[in-house]
Amino acid sequence: MNIVVAMKQIPDLQQIRIRNREPVLDAVPLTLGNIDKNALEAAVAFKESHGGKVTVLSAGSEDLEDTIKEALAAGADEAFLVLDDELDGADSEAIAGILGAALNRIEDKDLIIFGEGSGDNYSGQVGPRVAEILGIPLVTYASSIEINDKTAKVVRSLEDCEEIIELTLPAAVSVLAGINEPRIPSVTQILKAGKKPKEILEMDDLGLALAEKQVITLSNLAPESERKQILLKSADELVKALSSQSLIGR
Amino acid sequence: MMEKFDAIVVGAGLAGLASAYTLANEGMEVLVLERGDYPGAKNVTGGRLYVNPVRELFPDIWKKAPLERFIASEGVCMMAGERSVSINYAGNELLEEPYQSFSILRARFDRWLAKQAERKGAMLVDKSRVDDLIFEDGKVIGVRAAGDELHANVVIACDGVLSFIAEKAGLRRKVEAPNYAVGYKEIIELDPSQIEDRFGLEGNEGSARMYMGEVTKGKFGGGFLYTNKSSISLGIVIGIKDLMEEKPSIEAPVLLDEFKQRREIAGLIKGGETVEYSAHVIPEGGYKALNKLYGDGILVAGDAAGLAMNIGVTVRGMEYALASGYYAAQTVLQAKEKEDFSAAALSHYQTQMESSFILQDFKNFQEAPQVLENPRFFNHYPEMLGNIMKDIYEVPAGSKNRLYPTIKQYMAFSELWAMLGDMRKVMKI
Amino acid sequence: MAGILIYSDKNDYALELLTAARIITASSGLDVRALSINNDSQAEALAGAGAEVCKINNTAIALADASALANAIKQAVEKLDINTILLSSNLRGRELAGRLAQIIGTACLTGVSAVKLNGDKLECQRNALGGATVATQYIATEKKVIAIVPRSFEKAPAGTGKISELEVDVQATPGLKLVETKAKSEDSVDIEAAEVLVAVGQGLNSKDDLPMVEALVKALGGELACSKPVATDKKWLSEERIIGLSGKKCKPELAVLLGISGQVQFNVGIRDAGTIVAVNSDENAYVNKMADYVLVDDLHKVVAELNKILA
Ligand SMILES: Cc1cc2nc3c(=O)[nH]c(=O)nc-3n(C[C@H](O)[C@H](O)[C@H](O)COP(=O)(O)OP(=O)(O)OC[C@H]3O[C@@H](n4cnc5c(N)ncnc54)[C@H](O)[C@@H]3O)c2cc1C
Ligand SMILES: Cc1cc2nc3c(=O)[nH]c(=O)nc-3n(C[C@H](O)[C@H](O)[C@H](O)COP(=O)(O)OP(=O)(O)OC[C@H]3O[C@@H](n4cnc5c(N)ncnc54)[C@H](O)[C@@H]3O)c2cc1C
Ligand SMILES: Nc1ncnc2c1ncn2[C@@H]1O[C@H](COP(=O)(O)O)[C@@H](O)[C@H]1O
Repeated sequence: MNIVVAMKQIPDLQQIRIRNREPVLDAVPLTLGNIDKNALEAAVAFKESHGGKVTVLSAGSEDLEDTIKEALAAGADEAFLVLDDELDGADSEAIAGILGAALNRIEDKDLIIFGEGSGDNYSGQVGPRVAEILGIPLVTYASSIEINDKTAKVVRSLEDCEEIIELTLPAAVSVLAGINEPRIPSVTQILKAGKKPKEILEMDDLGLALAEKQVITLSNLAPESERKQILLKSADELVKALSSQSLIGR
Repeated sequence: MMEKFDAIVVGAGLAGLASAYTLANEGMEVLVLERGDYPGAKNVTGGRLYVNPVRELFPDIWKKAPLERFIASEGVCMMAGERSVSINYAGNELLEEPYQSFSILRARFDRWLAKQAERKGAMLVDKSRVDDLIFEDGKVIGVRAAGDELHANVVIACDGVLSFIAEKAGLRRKVEAPNYAVGYKEIIELDPSQIEDRFGLEGNEGSARMYMGEVTKGKFGGGFLYTNKSSISLGIVIGIKDLMEEKPSIEAPVLLDEFKQRREIAGLIKGGETVEYSAHVIPEGGYKALNKLYGDGILVAGDAAGLAMNIGVTVRGMEYALASGYYAAQTVLQAKEKEDFSAAALSHYQTQMESSFILQDFKNFQEAPQVLENPRFFNHYPEMLGNIMKDIYEVPAGSKNRLYPTIKQYMAFSELWAMLGDMRKVMKI
Repeated sequence: MAGILIYSDKNDYALELLTAARIITASSGLDVRALSINNDSQAEALAGAGAEVCKINNTAIALADASALANAIKQAVEKLDINTILLSSNLRGRELAGRLAQIIGTACLTGVSAVKLNGDKLECQRNALGGATVATQYIATEKKVIAIVPRSFEKAPAGTGKISELEVDVQATPGLKLVETKAKSEDSVDIEAAEVLVAVGQGLNSKDDLPMVEALVKALGGELACSKPVATDKKWLSEERIIGLSGKKCKPELAVLLGISGQVQFNVGIRDAGTIVAVNSDENAYVNKMADYVLVDDLHKVVAELNKILA
């Protein structure tokens, strides 16, 4: 069983500061999206119990070569990377096209796992788009995956219901953040990660060129917030403060 | 098969990165373990690095290093309760290359230096804390980190002040309050043009200012201000013993707040946004409080060894960290040649440190901690100077007194005698 | 002239999309069409709100088969000469948006919370950087797929519309079989409507401490809500009660946040509240920065005290 996990490189959201409502991205370290780590964990856990191989697939800037070590340390066996400095922040359509082309190069693939949404963009488009490109069945928002020989049984968790869906492999799944708890790799695993195989391609190698952006960003600002941040000392003070604004005791 | 490294460096601060860089440069297999999210994430410094003492040790790095501004103007301000006297120094030599000192931001600098070490082949793993040392027949043979055992010929403890690794190896002295100070610091963002206007700087020139007296309520220590490219590093340093002894106790964060509200400072940081706040302990016991530098299979460098010096208003530690890291690496290289990593072989480190500027500085300044404990420096003199200045500048409604009697009034015989005593002690430094 | 098409699997959301479409077309005079697929009651509801509804009835299309749905919508888009497709950004809608945009070959925005027509640009607002910022973006291609966050617009008022039928030719996706659909445990709470919300996070010691928080909720006359891990990881409360990016966006007059760290994905859901109170034992917790009143203390102690005072 070979599983491919699609993971996106994003700025470490915890390290982004806001200055004059603008996000300061300068010198923010890069990492992999949180939910993508759940996707990887699902794949690695399956490999550990059933054998097989986990390939991590990612498209991004040159820094990806370094960032992807996180995935290799956390259990991926090899990486398939498409590098181009224009790729961080590219349209979902472009990314899906690249991932689709890359997946066509990866021979045995029984299952492709995506995150429900990328850490920064959280748009949830890339998985469904890739499924359409490859013409394979996809189940989104998985809260559990059970893989058998030629099929996978997936629980799809929606707002008001759960659907239990059976997929014929090869197929794709996008997972919810709650599906598992990603492991924290040990030092030796991190050291071994540097030596795991990486296949690195550029856009030319896939016969692709990056089209002009179709989603245009006019502004990207933190919402204005002017909270009072009054420090209180006791529950008593709180009740008084809220009563004085008639927020309680109505 | 368990991998074995030539050296494991604990802590990716300046000491750790300097030794990793030096070792990797010579083709050694070196692993750096850092508990922070990335190198520099948790490291606190005031912000001035003197390059001269370490320039030759790392000849290749200075051209591209992310230094903030070169210090082109120095200032000292004696702060009394209601007034202050400042002395500013500008000198042509400060404007000439190679520049003597730079302001730096550790989050940026350490990350960059880590990259250079990695390029040379060092392996760096962050987000992993070393929990223990592994011994075999009393000799350090590796470390334990997050459940993993990792082996090496030598472990270099660069884990900063209060070094847990040096303690585990039995190389650390007992922690005594008088040997430590605490520093509180903020990084306040401002536009480069605002910084240049407020401090009268041009281009990449920077300013360093020290504040003593009321900043620390007359206690040993002081305030500092360094200009970076687009921020200001502002903080205070105060002895832990002084903090503990004062009744009612002084809260250092409150001191920093009061410092920020002083007229002398408020105007300089106006409109700026505090983007980082940090606190850190500083070793300042000087030569007498240094830890043992080596043991069987282990070396100690930087703050972990106690290699920082506080001479009142300035703290120096970064050059010592960089240089001691370098000498520790040289020692490992030498030991590797003979395949002997015993304490006897590693004692070479002590010899190198003795003949370098590091331990010479520490010996030269060994009296400083005791001399500077004298509260007159941080309380009496700033007040007196302020009062003299007030009288000199004051023009009353009536006639103004002659200057000599004005000054003489502050310089009674007993005062002069006490000053002489202070001077004699200062001469020991 | 090319028009706007709206579709959602949920009746209420479809009515909201109708309002959004009308706002967009108000000045342009474009056509608005509503699509309903295998859902006659929805067609009636939309027509009852004055929409021109195209109804597709085709047994090959199952709701669980988003690919088949996307194909059906694509054919409607072609037949009806549509440029802009508005979908709802609930989970089904988000998937559908990606698929539809792919097969029409166009760009798409999901999670859109506001739209504005500015000249020929349809400016959309959506969260970016995990919710830390709000981006204003538009799609430069002629055809656009936009998925709108539920409850961003009012439902369309009553009116008189009409229903026509539309034929499409769609195959069910091979290799995908719906075995079972299970309704989630009924928790019909509507935290979005509450004027007072008390939300608990992972600072709560255990499920056993919930009753005392519920007592506080009662004393304050509000509803109980939570951060995501409390529902998804700990399963102490139903997912209906999650505030945030993947939960609900709430605007209560008063929000009391207990043991919540205040990460952006949570904040997105509560930042429009009137007054925010944060109780957290960590003085540096981010939540303190987004609160009007801050109590740095153990939440269990504070809740017990509040209950005593308010009793
Ligand atoms: C407020 C203040 C102002 C100062 N001003 C100046 C100045 O202007 N000029 C100057 O030269 N010096 C100054 N200093 C001193 C200087 O900052 C230090 O001497 C210097 O940072 C020491 O470097 P280091 O590498 O030894 O230790 P650190 O920089 O403290 O690095 C230690 C590293 O080890 C890591 N670590 C600790 N324990 C472990 C573990 N168990 N496992 C893994 N990693 C671990 C830490 O996370 C850290 O990254 C100042 C210090 C302070 C606090
Ligand atoms: C794409 C994406 C979408 C997400 N969507 C959402 C979402 O919609 N909603 C959401 O909530 N999260 C969401 N998250 C998760 C979010 O990032 C945080 O992980 C989550 O909000 C943290 O929940 P918490 O504050 O309850 O827990 P924690 O972060 O663990 O915080 C617990 C807090 O409790 C405090 N505390 C501990 N003990 C006590 C005590 N005794 N008394 C008082 N205080 C105490 C602690 O100081 C701490 O601040 C999302 C994440 C991703 C990646
Ligand atoms: N650049 C990328 N490289 C690899 N996978 C990606 C990339 N962008 C998105 N993905 C995958 O697609 C999922 C959804 O992304 P998004 O559509 O951006 O929300 C992510 O969770 C990833 O699994």
